[in-house]
Amino acid sequence: MRRQQAVAAWVLAVPFMALFLVFTAGPVLASLGMSFTDIRSTDMSSPFAVGFLGMENYTKLLADPLFQKVMVNTGLYVVLGVPLTMVLALAAAVGLNRVTRLQGLFRVGYYMPVVTSIVAVSVVWRFLLRDEGGLVNTALSWVGVNGPGWLDSTALALPSLVVMSAWRNLGTLMVIFLAGLQTIPMDVKEAAEVDGAGAWQRFRHITLPLLRPTLLFGAVITSIGYLQFFEEAFVMTKGGPLDATRSVTFFTYDQFSFGNYGYAAAASYLLFLAVVVLTLAQFKLFGEKE
Amino acid sequence: MNRSISKPAGTFAVLAVASLALTGCGREADTNDPGPGAGAAIDDIAATGTIDVWAMGTEGEELGAFVEDFEKENPDAEVNVTAVPWEAAHDKIANAITAGETPDVSLIGTTWMGEFAEAGGLEPTPEGLVEESDFYEGAWDSTVVGDTSYGVPWFVETRALYYRTDLAEKAGWDQAPQTWDELKQFATDLEEKAGAEYGISLQPGQTGSWQTVLPFAWSNGAEVTNDDGTEYTIDSPETTEALEYYKSFFDEGLAETRTQDVGELEIGFAEGKYASFISGPWYSGLVEDQGLSPDKYTVAPLPGKDSAPGTSFVGGGDLAVFEESDNRESAWKLVKWLSEPQVQQDWYETMGDLPAVESSWDSGELADDPMLQVFGEQLGSAQAPPAVPTWEQVAAVIDSDVEKAVKGASPVEESVSDMQSQAESIGTGL
Repeated sequence: MRRQQAVAAWVLAVPFMALFLVFTAGPVLASLGMSFTDIRSTDMSSPFAVGFLGMENYTKLLADPLFQKVMVNTGLYVVLGVPLTMVLALAAAVGLNRVTRLQGLFRVGYYMPVVTSIVAVSVVWRFLLRDEGGLVNTALSWVGVNGPGWLDSTALALPSLVVMSAWRNLGTLMVIFLAGLQTIPMDVKEAAEVDGAGAWQRFRHITLPLLRPTLLFGAVITSIGYLQFFEEAFVMTKGGPLDATRSVTFFTYDQFSFGNYGYAAAASYLLFLAVVVLTLAQFKLFGEKE
Repeated sequence: MNRSISKPAGTFAVLAVASLALTGCGREADTNDPGPGAGAAIDDIAATGTIDVWAMGTEGEELGAFVEDFEKENPDAEVNVTAVPWEAAHDKIANAITAGETPDVSLIGTTWMGEFAEAGGLEPTPEGLVEESDFYEGAWDSTVVGDTSYGVPWFVETRALYYRTDLAEKAGWDQAPQTWDELKQFATDLEEKAGAEYGISLQPGQTGSWQTVLPFAWSNGAEVTNDDGTEYTIDSPETTEALEYYKSFFDEGLAETRTQDVGELEIGFAEGKYASFISGPWYSGLVEDQGLSPDKYTVAPLPGKDSAPGTSFVGGGDLAVFEESDNRESAWKLVKWLSEPQVQQDWYETMGDLPAVESSWDSGELADDPMLQVFGEQLGSAQAPPAVPTWEQVAAVIDSDVEKAVKGASPVEESVSDMQSQAESIGTGL
């Protein structure tokens, strides 16, 4: 009986395993191998006849001034983007949790940007952020402020993209947080209220701690998202001005399109390493304390 | 938790090492052999069999009907044209070469020639197939990788100076500027006397700006590589001077340092916000779509530094035959037919693509179009970027350093020496 079950399990697992090995694990390992070589697009007809470089791609990357810049940029995306997106999403979720009428409408409203094509979003935001005649600067001029060229300034372009990205991505987190909020039992809150806890105290000492696993999950997926920041910069600023919005993923994309497969693979493994380290750190800091 | 991770991780490490051992076979000594100097000669007998052709964009859509004349002349031959979108074309051709599943002939963007020739996909142009001197020199050079030509130019495009004649007249100019000093004065006058917001629109760095900056450097006698195309020579006083000149338009407020949105230039030109700009022949249609009447603007060749004519950029498309072609004789015959002067003229009338063959400009519709004749004149003094496999990457470096110089993020001299040192570390890829 056990044997039969084992055979059945293998038979059922084999199609997935085969696909996984051929189309996921295989390419992943191949790209790891590539990252230690000088393989280029012109080598594709004889991919094994390339030079082995050891760690040279990695050391070269860390010394590449452009890569250093995109690492700093990516760090900024994470540091600015993750808290902003989480706070906005949490605020929206807490607000929505109290609304009883039209909840569906608001939920759709906040979620809409997530499913809208990034190209459409970027065209609209480029109009909003335009130097002359953009909606943002027009509104600022009503209160007497002469708005800057948001996307043309090396200091403001990255934060502008972060704001847009937070607006675009908060829907997903909001839905997750809303689900988390709805699991918090009412009687705990009521008990606290009876004990004289105010609204802020209830939020701070009841809601937040009980929401911790959901927040952790939210922080991890948002961080991974911002570490891989690409589309927004690609369509809005092309990485400019002066590479101020170029991210590590953008850099990797460029290197792949230049045909430097080895160098690009090394860059993506460094990013992968950053994802792992950041995720582990978040689990350590915010995970369940035993 | 730890145990369950360590096992796959161990397997992973073993596999990684195994894949390293495999990939570590090592590069064979780089022979740097450009292959045979020329392909085997092609005879004069009619073409036969099936010829598979890939062509991009509108060219791909129109070519199928266009080659019916070729099929009439060569009744035993059949041409199959596949239209490939431009965005997908580069990867599709690269994959086809890797897999050995190429068509017989393809249109190849001029800046891709180096890469595909180096990848071993293209056959050298047969001896005596066409006369090199029939083509514009810059266009022919785009087919030459190392010392060998790997195709035949099909159509060309180049850049010239567009300006508003009504504004120029107001500013006291009844002819186009001929030298760098005049161009600067021209832009200043257009701004100060004719009331344009910007005298000229130039690209402040970013993607493709090398196509505007390099012509200034070439006009000043600079070269991107040495004659053999083996070493970069960007770092020259001529390049620095050209970039200083380019930058001065931004410093003096004659050009806008902001990156324009798509479509802003033609709208601004029609409105008189930008009084002049440098671009290719397709812009005539764009500005006229914005309601600018053809008698309010014209095109002039790029001014040279002093009295000599300015050098522009030449781009376009080449036709190449693949190593893997199983019908190479007939494939080259089709390429030859497409580069006949009369066929080139017909193709212009069908597609609007400018002929790469010089004599095609002497008669027919082209000869009667004064604006296009300016581009024809400019083509006589135009250069192609070096046909090296790594060109796209070097171009991106130039774009980024131009932006740094123009926006004052680094001094011009440093930008130029950074172009050189980065280009050197990228290498030619040959």
